[in-house]
Amino acid sequence: MLQTIVNGLLYGGTLSVAAVGFSLIFGVMNVINLAHGVFVVGGAYAALALWTGLRLDPILALVPIMAGGFVVGAAYQRFVIGPAVRRGSPVAALLVTFGLSLVVVNGLTIVYSSAVRNVSPAYAFFSVRIGDVTIDAVRAIAFVTALVLIAALALFLRTTVWGRMIRATAQSELAARLCGVDARRVYALTFGVGSAFAAGSGVLIGMIMPFTPAEEVQWTVYAFVVVVLGGVGSPAGAMLGGLLLGLAATLTQTYVGPVYTNVVMFMILLAMLLVRPNGILGSAFRASR
Amino acid sequence: MSARALMSVALGAAAVGGLAWLGTVLSPFHLRVGLSIFLSAGMAIGWYILGGFARYYSFGHTVFVGVGAFAAALTLQTWRFDGWVLQVATGVGAAMAASAVLAAVIALPILRLRGHYFTIAMLAVALVCAEAASAFPVFRGSIGLTLPDVAPPSVRPERFFYWMSLGAVTLAVAVAALIARARLGYGLFAIREDEDAAQMLGVPTTRCKVLAFLASGTITGLMGALYALNLGYITTDSVFRGALSLDMIVNSLVGGMGSLFGPLVGAVVMTLLTKVMLGDFLEYHLAITGLIVVAIVFLAPDGLLGLAEKAWRRVRGGNAGGGADPR
Repeated sequence: MLQTIVNGLLYGGTLSVAAVGFSLIFGVMNVINLAHGVFVVGGAYAALALWTGLRLDPILALVPIMAGGFVVGAAYQRFVIGPAVRRGSPVAALLVTFGLSLVVVNGLTIVYSSAVRNVSPAYAFFSVRIGDVTIDAVRAIAFVTALVLIAALALFLRTTVWGRMIRATAQSELAARLCGVDARRVYALTFGVGSAFAAGSGVLIGMIMPFTPAEEVQWTVYAFVVVVLGGVGSPAGAMLGGLLLGLAATLTQTYVGPVYTNVVMFMILLAMLLVRPNGILGSAFRASR
Repeated sequence: MSARALMSVALGAAAVGGLAWLGTVLSPFHLRVGLSIFLSAGMAIGWYILGGFARYYSFGHTVFVGVGAFAAALTLQTWRFDGWVLQVATGVGAAMAASAVLAAVIALPILRLRGHYFTIAMLAVALVCAEAASAFPVFRGSIGLTLPDVAPPSVRPERFFYWMSLGAVTLAVAVAALIARARLGYGLFAIREDEDAAQMLGVPTTRCKVLAFLASGTITGLMGALYALNLGYITTDSVFRGALSLDMIVNSLVGGMGSLFGPLVGAVVMTLLTKVMLGDFLEYHLAITGLIVVAIVFLAPDGLLGLAEKAWRRVRGGNAGGGADPR
């Protein structure tokens, strides 16, 4: 039981990082990024490429991969999402993200085939025993990295000028612009940060579990579940939602059966949407309509 | 019935008659192309009753295809009738009943959600049902189910299914057209424009949405049963397929969301484009569909029919109107 809870929390940390970027983009821009899972899976494949090509440790690879995620994400917002939102509606943006995610997944499948891959650094097979509980070193490292990343994001949003601009734009774009905030740059920045965190979570996921290109849908939906569970727009909400979802997933896997994991997760999503769409820590921003 | 309505019924009947006659002369390959056009057009029309009329975009409509397909397969395995009429009737009837029940059960809770939330909730519903079809041994979704060959021996199977799916599309279009002309349709259009305002003006929004959802799900389930009967063998992955949900949306979008012709035109164009012309590039199918979605959103937000209408107005002089949102 204790072992299951520990595993659930460790898994939940990774889920939190995977969701925090989605949450930021949704909270600030009211855009559901259906390509979010693509950034996650893309990060995992980038880590794989750096590991097999340069023997670069995944944790070190986080730096270039997150930087790359930032650049791609910001450009994606500037040249694709922004124009789509201006031309059409949020639904048009939704469709564009969906369309592009199909393109990328198709590309990844052609390059890497749909076979299951994983990244296993040298310490992948170490584990530590504390009392009755076994902790895999790689999971612990991934969890700690996840905590550090989320804390860093929370600090960034709370203390820096850019963080304040992001929060102001999330509360009211009009008021923020009246105060001299360049909303377009804030949007690009937000998307960049969100994508960087998605790519970073992909690296962690690549370390602790196998992955395939087609899994991107699953990661997008997981991110959505985490956000709905915890609350939109805040790192704390993503953290809480991720940990709860991780627990729910592992408990189901152990006590009900592995085939029911996704069913239970999506039932939680549906139940939350109906009972409290704002999430547990719901400061719902304007997305809650 | 007004003269205009009579006229469109007559034209529609002539078109259906013409297509049915084509069924007797086309080669098996072309029959199969026609069949897949009809199937995707029928699904797109089913999606459109909710997505087009009320702008409730469902990203998980494949759930009705899957439920319809499984209901048809399971009933036909349990009760074995002789004669194709009884077999088709039980399969299709079971599919429509099962989809209607599913729609009725989830309608009230899920239609409380709007916009993105509804979209993603439908995605989740589809994933839950797909997982359930695989996980529970009764459904045998992971092993697969075989459907009996219902086509009578005197008719080529592809010709039989060509006619069957033509009939189903005709039914779907007729139902959708009736809804569009009825009170229900006007209620849905009001919801599309502004749901809160519609509610304040006394439109029974909940009832309209639930009825549209029921009609939409039942028609999609009917198409799902025909899809499965034609395939002859189904698994969870072949009928609960995200690509099917996507095709319904893309067909409506490509054709244009302005009228019922949109999904029909979209289904013809997209099927010809992706299955026939690009049949040699099946590997790139997803990427091509994705690029088409992106191109349509940017270049022709009102679909091909929207483009045609704009071009027509320009030819006749006068202002093309519409145009991009000035924002």
